[in-house]
Amino acid sequence: MEANAAYGRALARAFGGALLFSFPLLMTMEMWSLGMAVERSRLLVFLLLSLSMLLGLSYYAGFEPTFRLKDEVLDALAAFGVGFLLAAALLATFGVLGRHGLFSQADLGKIALCAVPGAIGALVAGKQLGEGAPSNREKSEAGTLGEIFLMAVGALFLAFNVAPTEEMILIAYQMGPLQALLLMVLSVLLLHAFVYRLGFPGESRRREAGGPLRTFVGFTAPGYGVALVVSLYLLWTFGRTDGVAPHEIATMTIVLAFPAALGAATARLVI
Amino acid sequence: MATTTRTRAAAKSAAAKPASARRKGPGRTRPPKDDIPPLEWISAAVGLLCALVAIGFVGWDALVGERSPPSIEVRLVAVTPTPHGFVAEVEAINHGGSPAAQVAIEGVLSGQGEPETAQATLDYIPEQSRADGGLVFEHDPRVGRLVLRAKGFADAS
Repeated sequence: MEANAAYGRALARAFGGALLFSFPLLMTMEMWSLGMAVERSRLLVFLLLSLSMLLGLSYYAGFEPTFRLKDEVLDALAAFGVGFLLAAALLATFGVLGRHGLFSQADLGKIALCAVPGAIGALVAGKQLGEGAPSNREKSEAGTLGEIFLMAVGALFLAFNVAPTEEMILIAYQMGPLQALLLMVLSVLLLHAFVYRLGFPGESRRREAGGPLRTFVGFTAPGYGVALVVSLYLLWTFGRTDGVAPHEIATMTIVLAFPAALGAATARLVI
Repeated sequence: MATTTRTRAAAKSAAAKPASARRKGPGRTRPPKDDIPPLEWISAAVGLLCALVAIGFVGWDALVGERSPPSIEVRLVAVTPTPHGFVAEVEAINHGGSPAAQVAIEGVLSGQGEPETAQATLDYIPEQSRADGGLVFEHDPRVGRLVLRAKGFADAS
């Protein structure tokens, strides 16, 4: 019974986290229209990838050093449920649902798309707002692959907030090639600075040894690479790349990689 | 088995303790109440159901859903006389297999002198769904001959 009560509190926290992290997207018009318009096969891929990402995140956001599949699966599923139900409830409250018949594919697409940021928020909240401080031991134990995974989640998380908006395309149209290169340099520099120079909590233990060049090659470069890949993937999922000239796709990717790089750099702050 | 069933809650309180206490904690006594609480199973089951519904419907649509172009029927629902003209409420139904955006619908009313045209744009009609709108006429559409149709649309997204 006591365990139930404790889990109930954790669940309530998860709803709070999901709400905090997903309401900007729930209140963004493009998320609704994309939920209807995204090609169904891409949405399917996105949902499957998100579920596996939740599984990995539940491992890294968890407290225990060992991988207990049952625990992680239960947490990931519960987080997805929290995100899904919250998205459904809020979208229904906002009057977004039910405009095209009582239960339609369009509504389901909207809810499914909005459920993902909520689910990430639910998982993160379990740790951020939790009673116990995150174990430092595990933080330093995340290997190179783990670091890259966390950077990808951070990049996805921050980029997702702006990726659906029209502004990404508009900014890409407005920028010339020189400005695009400048933004790229800026993103890389900020990524580097955020990770090693500004001294945010939770990032001091990174592989600092080996001089600035090695940290650049070892963390900043892969970090920006991850940001670019995540950005391109999001743009493709939202159908922004269809029929667009390659150089314009590249500019859009660079634009979106700016928030993605910030997300990758601060992944440890959030996650 | 016993090691795998430690709860998150127990893990959290363990993590809050100093490292030394934590290190010897899990190895020694583990009360039976440390089992996964029923609520955790229930919420995971609800989450699984949500995931299955989302993946199932989206996947079904992705794999076997039809991909025909939008085919939009415009129907008259009701006519209401107002001081500012006759409001004809219409609904546009997309019978096709893909969504349509910025659907321009038009109604031509003839039979009372000059033919009268009214038009409206509907933002978005998903496949197999409907959207509502209204057309405003000077003459009563119930009297003359009213032809309703969709004139064009943009591809969604």
